[in-house]
Amino acid sequence: MTLDATLPAQRLDLGRRLRAYAGIARVLSRTVMAYRSNFLVGSLGLLMQVFLLRVVWTSVFPSDGRTTTGGHAVTLGAQIAYSTLATVQFSLFSPWQVSMVPQRVRDGTVAVDLARPVGFNGQMFFGQVGFTLGNAPFALLALPFAILVGGAQPPSSAGTAGLYALSLLGGYLISLLLGSLMGMVAFWTLEIQGILMVYRMLSQFLAGALVPLWFMPGWLRGISQWLPFQGTTYTPIAVYLGQLGGALRAIGVQAVWVLVLWLLLRLVWSRALRRVTVQGG
Amino acid sequence: MATVASNPVPAHRQYLLLLHAAWRGQLQYRGNLVLTLIGGVLYQGVGLAFVWAVVAKFGHVGGWGMGELAFLYGVRLTAHAAWTIPFNRLNSMDWMVQRGEFDRYLIRPAGTLTQFLNWSTNIQPLGDLIGGVGVLVAASSAAPIDWSPTAVLYLLATIAGGALVECSLQLGLCGLSFRLQATYALRMNFIDNIMNNFGGYPLTIFPSVMRFALTFLLPLAFVAYLPANVLLHRTGELSVAPWLAWCAPLLGPLLFAAAYKFWYGQLKHYKSSGT
Repeated sequence: MTLDATLPAQRLDLGRRLRAYAGIARVLSRTVMAYRSNFLVGSLGLLMQVFLLRVVWTSVFPSDGRTTTGGHAVTLGAQIAYSTLATVQFSLFSPWQVSMVPQRVRDGTVAVDLARPVGFNGQMFFGQVGFTLGNAPFALLALPFAILVGGAQPPSSAGTAGLYALSLLGGYLISLLLGSLMGMVAFWTLEIQGILMVYRMLSQFLAGALVPLWFMPGWLRGISQWLPFQGTTYTPIAVYLGQLGGALRAIGVQAVWVLVLWLLLRLVWSRALRRVTVQGG
Repeated sequence: MATVASNPVPAHRQYLLLLHAAWRGQLQYRGNLVLTLIGGVLYQGVGLAFVWAVVAKFGHVGGWGMGELAFLYGVRLTAHAAWTIPFNRLNSMDWMVQRGEFDRYLIRPAGTLTQFLNWSTNIQPLGDLIGGVGVLVAASSAAPIDWSPTAVLYLLATIAGGALVECSLQLGLCGLSFRLQATYALRMNFIDNIMNNFGGYPLTIFPSVMRFALTFLLPLAFVAYLPANVLLHRTGELSVAPWLAWCAPLLGPLLFAAAYKFWYGQLKHYKSSGT
């Protein structure tokens, strides 16, 4: 059946809405705990990746452990710290399940979500936040092991650490919004595994999760700089390592992307709502 | 029914019939097919894109240029596709044992393994094949290889041998599932992950302990690295004897014969879950 595009007549007040969102996030964070044995297995792949990146960078760097690129110097230590942090952060921010929407559409529970007195996008958004919060302790647990097989560097100053926290938030919001946009595709086609795979691989590369933008060939760096993906991974870590000249400007770019993607999501959602098909109703 | 038992359908015909049915089932979902294939190509391609970016900046990895690295990558990926296309059902081994699905395979007049492998199929490995052959074709002119007929035959033997090495490890461990119920994490998250992550690099970049382990404990070097050294005239830099590198494609058939026997041997220990 196709739902009428009318929203519930009464919206809840802000306090009750926030409590509802917090409840959704809590439930989703608990579903992660139910699959905690996946953690060990998932971490193993993560540590292998970290180790491989370290071995490759070590083998190609000149023996004095430093190189220059695009006018600024990169040490081997900084490069290994980058790849270690990027791998852990990307795995936490960009899980294979980028959004709850495809699953809800596929099994028809989207009908229940739409009938609730809080916004659909809010539910999906905070559900995904809960999912990340459930996974965060595992990522934090894996981090020391990743540093052991990879490497780390402290932030250059307290100010840098503060900017990093800000940039990390921006990076997470961009990841979430991009994932939500991809999830919307489920309203047009149910078979979205292929599209999600293409998205994941392209976004991983363009985010700088494997090669930082400073080592990308000029034309590719140009493309990456004009896309939102670099804001998810490259920007926060480059800020952390003090590799960016204008950290505040980079965080400003992140903020612009958050706004643009949020507006885009609203636009796509207004169209998707007219296409909702409930399976198995 | 007695005629069926005394005149069974030949084994190869059983295989082809069931293979056809499995593929016909998969090709019902055309809309997703193209994107799944592109996704499959990108999934493997992102590793090569990383290598390409590193070489664009530093000129080499472990002393190998882009043509040589792409050739190694292409050999490994093609070998990987060559076994995952017919054997991708091994993924569901644990689940099939736990659910007691082997009950029905055991009472039907067709090979147990044949039925299991063609119960359904997965199209994603086709993406690996497209990617692998594409990289191999592009790299075969870029890499310094003398393409004599012998070299071409050796390459084909390498791909078949490499596919059988990977396949044997998976099939052998699947045999253990009849007793242990669950070997997925060991097979896929450990062994397959190592193969996919480390298999496309010259082993000289790794510490010597790891090089030894990836040659003699887990025979990753035999899949693509050792024979690629032969074709690239690089056996001089190996830490094993050149004759061993030359003979690398022979390991696959030997391991496969052992794994096949082992799998059927373990099948005797299958206990239906009764569901």
